[in-house]
Formats: sequence, structure tokens, C-alpha cells
Amino acid sequence: MIRSTKTWQAVALTAVAGLALSACGTTDTGGGSSGGGDEGGDCNFKIAAMGALSGPNASIVVPSVDGAQLALDQWDGGDCTVEMERFDTEGDPAKATPVATQIAGDESFIGVIGGAFSGETRATKTIYQDGGIPMISQSATATDLTQEDPVEVFHRLVPYDDYQGAAIAKYLTDEVGATKVFVIDNAEAYGEPLADRVEETLGDAMIQRDKTEVGQTDFAPTISKIESAQPDAIMYGGYIAEAAPLLKQIRDAGIDVPFIGGDGLYGADFGNAVGEAGEGAVVMCPCAPIDESSTFAADFEEAYGGAPGAYAAEGYDAMTVFLKGLEDGARDRAAMQEFVTGYTGDGLSKSIAFDENGDVPQDQVSYWAYKNTGGTLQPEVEVKPAE
Amino acid sequence: MDFDALISGLDRHTLDGITRGSIYALVALGYTMVYGVMKLINFAHSEVFMVGTWTVLGVYTAIGATSGSGLAMVIGATLLALIAAMLASAGTALAVERIAYRPLRKKGAPALIFLITGIGCSMVLVEVFGQVLRVFFGRPFGRVTVNIPAVLETKTVFTIPGVDLAVSNTRILIIVGAIVMMLALDAFVNRSRLGRGVRAVAQDPDTASLMGVNQERVIMLVFVLGGAMAGVAALLYTVQYDITKFDIGFIIGLKAFTAAVLGGIGNLRGALVGGLFLGIVEVYASAVWDSSWTNVYAFVVLVVVLMFRPTGILGESLGKARA
Amino acid sequence: MSQILDAVRGLALGERWNHAPKVVRWAVMLLVIAFAFYLPYLNILPFAYIRTDLTASGSDWASVLFLIVVYMIVAVGLNVVIGLAGLLDLGYVGFYALGAYSVAIFGSTNSPVVQALQSRFGLSEDWAVPFAVCIPIAILVSLVAGVILGAPTLRLRGDYLAIVTLGFGEIIRITFRNLDGISNGAAGITGVPVPPGPETDGRAFFNTIDAERWYWLALAILILLIFLARRLEHSRVGRAWLAIREDEDAAAVMGVAGFKFKLWAFAIGATLGGLAGLLFGSKQQYVEPNAFMVNLSFLFVAMVVIGGSGNIFGALLGAFLLTYLPERFREFVDWRPFAFGVALVAVMILRPQGLVPSRRRAREFEDRRHEAEEAAADV
Repeated sequence: MIRSTKTWQAVALTAVAGLALSACGTTDTGGGSSGGGDEGGDCNFKIAAMGALSGPNASIVVPSVDGAQLALDQWDGGDCTVEMERFDTEGDPAKATPVATQIAGDESFIGVIGGAFSGETRATKTIYQDGGIPMISQSATATDLTQEDPVEVFHRLVPYDDYQGAAIAKYLTDEVGATKVFVIDNAEAYGEPLADRVEETLGDAMIQRDKTEVGQTDFAPTISKIESAQPDAIMYGGYIAEAAPLLKQIRDAGIDVPFIGGDGLYGADFGNAVGEAGEGAVVMCPCAPIDESSTFAADFEEAYGGAPGAYAAEGYDAMTVFLKGLEDGARDRAAMQEFVTGYTGDGLSKSIAFDENGDVPQDQVSYWAYKNTGGTLQPEVEVKPAE
Repeated sequence: MDFDALISGLDRHTLDGITRGSIYALVALGYTMVYGVMKLINFAHSEVFMVGTWTVLGVYTAIGATSGSGLAMVIGATLLALIAAMLASAGTALAVERIAYRPLRKKGAPALIFLITGIGCSMVLVEVFGQVLRVFFGRPFGRVTVNIPAVLETKTVFTIPGVDLAVSNTRILIIVGAIVMMLALDAFVNRSRLGRGVRAVAQDPDTASLMGVNQERVIMLVFVLGGAMAGVAALLYTVQYDITKFDIGFIIGLKAFTAAVLGGIGNLRGALVGGLFLGIVEVYASAVWDSSWTNVYAFVVLVVVLMFRPTGILGESLGKARA
Repeated sequence: MSQILDAVRGLALGERWNHAPKVVRWAVMLLVIAFAFYLPYLNILPFAYIRTDLTASGSDWASVLFLIVVYMIVAVGLNVVIGLAGLLDLGYVGFYALGAYSVAIFGSTNSPVVQALQSRFGLSEDWAVPFAVCIPIAILVSLVAGVILGAPTLRLRGDYLAIVTLGFGEIIRITFRNLDGISNGAAGITGVPVPPGPETDGRAFFNTIDAERWYWLALAILILLIFLARRLEHSRVGRAWLAIREDEDAAAVMGVAGFKFKLWAFAIGATLGGLAGLLFGSKQQYVEPNAFMVNLSFLFVAMVVIGGSGNIFGALLGAFLLTYLPERFREFVDWRPFAFGVALVAVMILRPQGLVPSRRRAREFEDRRHEAEEAAADV
């Protein structure tokens, strides 16, 4: 068969051509690191922001990454050229690990802002630890991240769920004077442990607990449980998407007791989502009100066309810590890690320092209750949880 | 486990279940009609519903309706939103049919391919509201939950004596609205000339086309009717829950499809029965245990029912809807 | 587009392949396999442009390759169910989750089950079921789940099966999320064991940094499975599936017991799904319920159908494209899902038979297209 011989000749030719081509060049797989930090002593670095930038949970993450970008844009770097790269994980640990491996392997990255969620942080922190690259999370609050198996490189600007739960319980008993609290959670890794801790701290002051689901909009069974329990306050551990219809249905049922949520509800999106039913709802957040004199809110609005959403100030602070490190002369990961661990300074959200586990020390954190008034969250009162 | 709570509040839970189930049933009609005529699961139908909810928001914003408006405004805005949502949803359904299904039908592609284009269309529609429109118009589009003003404020209209069960105006609107739309659709399919065509194609497409029924037109009609019903569901949904979000269709669609199968897919009355049954089961079970298992209740009930009645509670067939 | 396809068809590659000498076929096959193993180090222009780590916000190439291969194993398994036996399974992620969770629940020292066993039998705190034992457990669990799901539901007609399997996938995920005492609830289980291996550079051989080792492991398993699946396809069971898929009643008349062979397909598919899940969970060293959402089931089905269901190489291509492309074009961040949807619709409309359909499927398709055209002409 003449035809088939020709075919195989062609195959052989192609193979030879391929080999010849291969001599033409190789790529730099360091991640397009032309602007990398390896160009003898000058200060070109990148900072990675890792989190759910697309997908259903993006609204909780994007504002914080925007906040970090704002901090970078406002920074006068002097000799330094710093870029922030956004890495989308969709909040999915499976998508986060390739990203983390990539960041850890590219020496031009000197710091990581994130992970935004606890799940992806759990899946990636050992990778960053192996790469020796410091991380500052703006929003991962799971207790075990620092308390059960801490890694040196992990730091976070938010107190973990245990403290937040205690603060919410304290607000409920001391400020609201509640003795019969109805606790609801969203059965997810954020809401459930938070509600557990609230339940634990409240003790007898909790009358009933109910679980709901992410993506749920009809809360009728929960409402009827609330009606028969006759609580004097309701606590919800979960996110805005479910809090909005839940609140509406609570108010429609004629239940007018105070409604308190955790920091999962914090942000400008809360007012937009709950509408009038959310008037007077309280959101507890481990974040002090931003100083009146600060232009942060205005700057953010100008840059991104909306009021600062969830964790925007924490994102801003995380970036600021890294930038201060560069100003201080940190030029590699080890130096940056050392700087971050020893950092103290005032941030937008709180005065920042990290303890040996990477947590913000308890006495630095101020918990504030924010009341939804006319669609925006107004600081109401500071709460100091008992140790 | 709290069976006492279920028994003592049985009337209340039943009403809750019917309210939830009414919306499932209206959305289920779209699945069931398309399936009855084309033997096809229209995976993009959940997004047809989602488009309807956004349309309601658009109408309210455009005419400036807010909660606390006068009675004339409330009625006018609600009616206008209803019509707009029906039109928008029907239009979306028709567009899906044109873009994703018709070309495949012309090529005689197997059913599995329709499924994939349906999923593709669903992703596109979700992303249009979650991403594309946000880039061009900013808020309220995007991946956040958006409030829809409670133009029709919830008020207790009457209390059922004896059981002391308060019934609100929104519930009446939802339940009555759903049942009226169902009856109208049922009458249309069973009584009208066009409806006869739908039944004919559902029973035997080849014979129907020999008898002069324009199959393409019947298919378009089915998508339009199913879409319009999803539009009604969208308005009722916004009245009850006050929100919309780019991915809100997914769970409703999943449940509505389950309801359609439960009642007997392809059967209009089956959609009503399946929807109400599913809503009631979910609420009862959530009252005894809690809502974090909702989908498990739904699917366990589905499997149990299908084991005893393999074609659903009322059996399939749009053609024999009278039976 | 169609011109290119015609040109490719003009080469008649399949025919030439079948007529090529056996030695050549083996040589080419070995070359392809060798190239696949070499891929993580592929660094030669212009071929290196397929790497996913070329842009600043890219992701690790070897990790992406690993994920592609895991999804290819999924596609091979789902192809048995959908492509060969013609059963629409929309809950495949359930088996994938079972595989991942089996190894986590029995193999991790952080799992509640292992901790309960430790205290019950007075074992040390480092004790867990060894990895080697976790493998048969994971396979057995997914196999049994496949039979348990299949036994009552396979008697249902096609579209009913779709929604029931979809429900099954959800039930698995919600159960793992809600049962704190078994699967550690929504927080998931950390410390999932990895295959044993010699320690290198002070790290375990299979660690989170050196992803190419994971890739090679998965690739070796994939090649073995492809070989087995090909044998299966051409065995008596494979022919029975074909008969059922084409006409179940006719097959029954000819003495092919539909139910039995369908259950076979389901069980085999479930096992492969479990195996893929096991690899995923182990590489990840962490499992959580949200990694197993329904959407993943849709993605799996799309892989098999886009590639060309019934053809194992089509399924592999589908798995490759749908996993690889979103990673390669990471710079488009939140435009990717939109593009993905558009691409699904466009590809299916342009090539409803799939990118590389099996020859038999392509012929079936041609027949049906003619019928459709004739029917249209009649009207």
C-alpha cells in the first residue's frame, strides 16, 4: 500500500521537524516573571489575592480584594514596583490548590492576601507553608485554622468564630437583655460553628435552635418554630442571600423581636438585600467603625462605584501590612514573614498585631454592633466579650 | 425529632406547604408541557423563571412603586409586573427554544444533546444577570442578592375560626393565583383548538402532522405557555420573598422538576398535585426535623413514590390530560 | 470550522490507523504515553503555550494536569454508564464524593470515625486505617452504593432515572454535610492520607508541592483503566450494553437480560467514580461537602457528551477540554462561566454527535438526521 507508506514518511518528517523546532527556544515557566524580584536587589514584587472572584459567593470576597487594590493604588512605592494579581478559586478548595502551588513556586510573589474562605485556606495553607510565603487572610474565621494545626505563615485580621460567637451572645444578653434567644444557622462551615458558640455561651438563655440551608428562600417551617417558641431575640449565623428572605418572613409573620447576625452579613450589600424588612436588624462585626476623618469610604466608592462591601477594610489593611514590609526593607519571603509576624500598627479595621498562632490578639479586636438604619449599617455600640 | 410540633401546628404547616408548593407547581408546568410534547427535559426553564423575577424588579423600579403606595398603585404595579414577567419569561423560553433546541431538532440529535444545550443556555442566562449586565449597567445586577420592594404589603386578611389560623393577603394571592392559572391552562389545553393540537402532538407526533397540525407551532406554543406560567410564578415568588439573585432559579427549578416527575411528567394536573405534595412534604418534614435536610426529604419521597408508581402519582401523558 | 473538519476527515486517520502495521501502532502508542508522562516538563516553544502557568495569574501546570487526569477517569467511568449502556446518570458526583470521603473517614486521624475507633480499642492517636486498606474500602463503598442506587431505580425509564440519580448525588452531599459524627459535617476532614512512598527532601513523596508525582500516579491508573474499558467494550458485556442501548425490547427478546447488564454498567461506573474521588481527596489532603455540588455532575455529563458519547477517546477529549480551557484562560476571571455556557451551546449545535463520536454512534446519528430531514420535507 503506497498510500500508507507515504503517511508514515510524513509522520517521520513531522517528528524531525518538531525536534528541530524544539531547539528554537524554551518558555519561562516561572509564571511570566519578567517583572520578578530576581533582578538584583531592586524592588519588584507581586502580591497574590486568592479567593472566590466568580461564582455565587463572589460578592463576599470581591470588595476585600478591591480594598487591597485601593491600598496598593494609594501607596507611594518609591523605588518599589508592586503589582497585585487576582487568583480566582470560586471558593472551591479543588480549584485553590493549583493556584496555591503556582503562587508558592513563583518567587516574585512576596505575600498572599487570603484565603478568603476557611475551606480553601485549610486546603492551601500547608502549600504556602512549604513555600515559606506569608499569608494574611481578610476573612477566614474558622477556629481550627490557627487553634488546631497552625502554620507559621498564616495570619488573619479577623478573630475566629469562637470569639465572635461569644461577642454575639454577650450583646444578646447585655445589650438586648434577651433571655429567650432563638438561634438559626445555615448548616455550613461558617454559620454552624458560629451558632454553636453562641448556643454554648448563652446557655439557658437559648430556647431553641434550628438549621436551614444555603440557597433556601422559604423559611416557613423555621418561622412556625419561632412563633411557638416566643423568643425575645433571634440570632442567625449565615450569609446575606438567605438572611434577606428570612428577615422578610419573620417580619411578615408579625414577629418584631431584635434580629442579630454575624459578620457574614456585614457590608453595604446587606441593606440592598433586606430592604425595609431589615430596618433595625443588627450585624455584629469584629471591626471598629472607620474613623470619620478617613477618606476610605469615599475613595472606595469613587474607584469601584459602590460603598465598601464585606471585609473591604480588612483587605485594605492586609495589603498595607505587606507594603509597610517593603518600606521596611523586606526583600524576600523570609524577611517579609518575619516582618508580618512582628508587625504592630493601626489599621482601618483595628489596630493590628499577630500572636504566635497568627491571630489578632483578643485585646486588639473591638466588636461592634451595627444597626441597619435606612439601608446602611450604623455603628451602635461596642461589645467586649468576656474571656 | 418533634412530632408534637407537626401535629399541633398541622393546619399552619399545611398552609405553608401549599404556599411553597404552589410556586413549585407553576414552574413545574413548564417542564411538564415541554416534556409532554417533545420528551425533553428543558434544563433552561429554571432561568426562564429567574428572568421573570428580574422583570418584576424592573417594572417596580421603572414606575417607582414602593411599599406603602396607594391602593391603585399597588394593583396597577402588580398587574403590570405580572404581564411584563409573563411576557419576558415567555420570550426567554421561546429564545431558548429557537437558539438551543430547534437547530438540534432539525438535525435529529439524540435527547442527551438537548440536555447539554439546555444546561449551556442555563449557564448563559445566569451569567447574563450575574456578570454581563453588571459590566454594562452596574448595580443592581451582579452576584449579590437584591431586594424587590414589597409593593403588596403583607397583612392578615382573616383568621380561620376554630383553628385560629391567620391567612395573609399574599398567601391568598399565591394560592388563588396559582390555582386560577392552572385551571385556565388546563381549560385551554383541553377545550381550545390550539390545545387540541398540543394534545395531538403529545399523543402521536407523526399522526398529528398527517392530520395537519403544525408541529413547529405547537412546540413554540408549549414553550410560550410554560414560560408564561414561570412568569406568573416569578411574580408570586417576589411577592412572598421580596428578593432576586442571579442564581435563584437553580433550586426552584430542581424542585419544580422533581414535582413534575412526582405528579407524572407530561401531565398538567400531575404538576399541580406533585408541586403541592412536594411542598407539603418538605414543610412537614422540616417541622419535625430541620430544613438542612430539605433536599433529602424531597428526593427520598420521589424515590419512594416512583417505586410504587413508576410514572408518578397521576401517570404521564399530556394527551390524556382528562383521564 | 467545517472546512477544517473536512480536511481532518480527508486524512482518514482512523482508517489509516487500522491499516497501519502493528509495530507502528505500538510505537505510536508508546510515544503518546511517553509524551503524556513528559507533559509536566514540556517547556519547548511553541508547544509550551499549552501550559497554564504562563500568565502572572496562572495556575500550577502539574496540578492542572492532575485534575485533568482525575476528570478523565471520571469520564471513562461515566462513558460506560452513558455512552455504552445509554443510562443518563446526573448524580455521578455522588460516587466521586463517596470515594473521596471513604479514604478521609477511614484514613485520616482527624476523622470522627477513626477517633471513635481509637478510643474504643485503646489505639494510639496516630493510628488510622492504612492507605492501602482505604483503597479497597473506597472501591467497595462506591460499588455497593452503585448497586444500592441501581437496584430499585434501573427499572425506571430514562428520564426518571436522570432525576433520581441527581437526587442521589444531593443526598450524599447533604448527608456528609450534616452528619458531624461521621464526616465532621460542613468543616470537612483534613489530613487525608496519601500513598506511602520514600521521603525526599524532607517531605513525603506524595506531597502538596510536587504535583507532577500525583499526575504520574493518576496517569498510570488512567492508562490501565482505558485498557480495561476497551476490553470491556468489546466483550460480551459490552455487546449486551450496545443491544440494550439500541433497543431494549429487542435485546430482551434475544435473551439479553436488560436489568442485569444495566446494573453491571452502573456498578462499574460507580467504582471508577469512586476511584477518581479517592485520588482527588488524597491529593487534596482535605475533603469538604461543598466540593461535591450538583453542578459537577452536569460538568461530568457535558464532558462525555461533548467529546462524543460512546467513544472512550471522545470522553477523554471532552474531559481534557472542559477542565483545561477554563484553567488556561484564567485571565478572563469571571467571564469564564459565560464563555463556558456559550461554548457548550455552540459546540453541540455545530457538532451534535460530539467532537469524536464513536463510529457506530455517528452512523446512528446520520440515520436519524435523514429521518428528521425527510419528516421536515413531508410537512
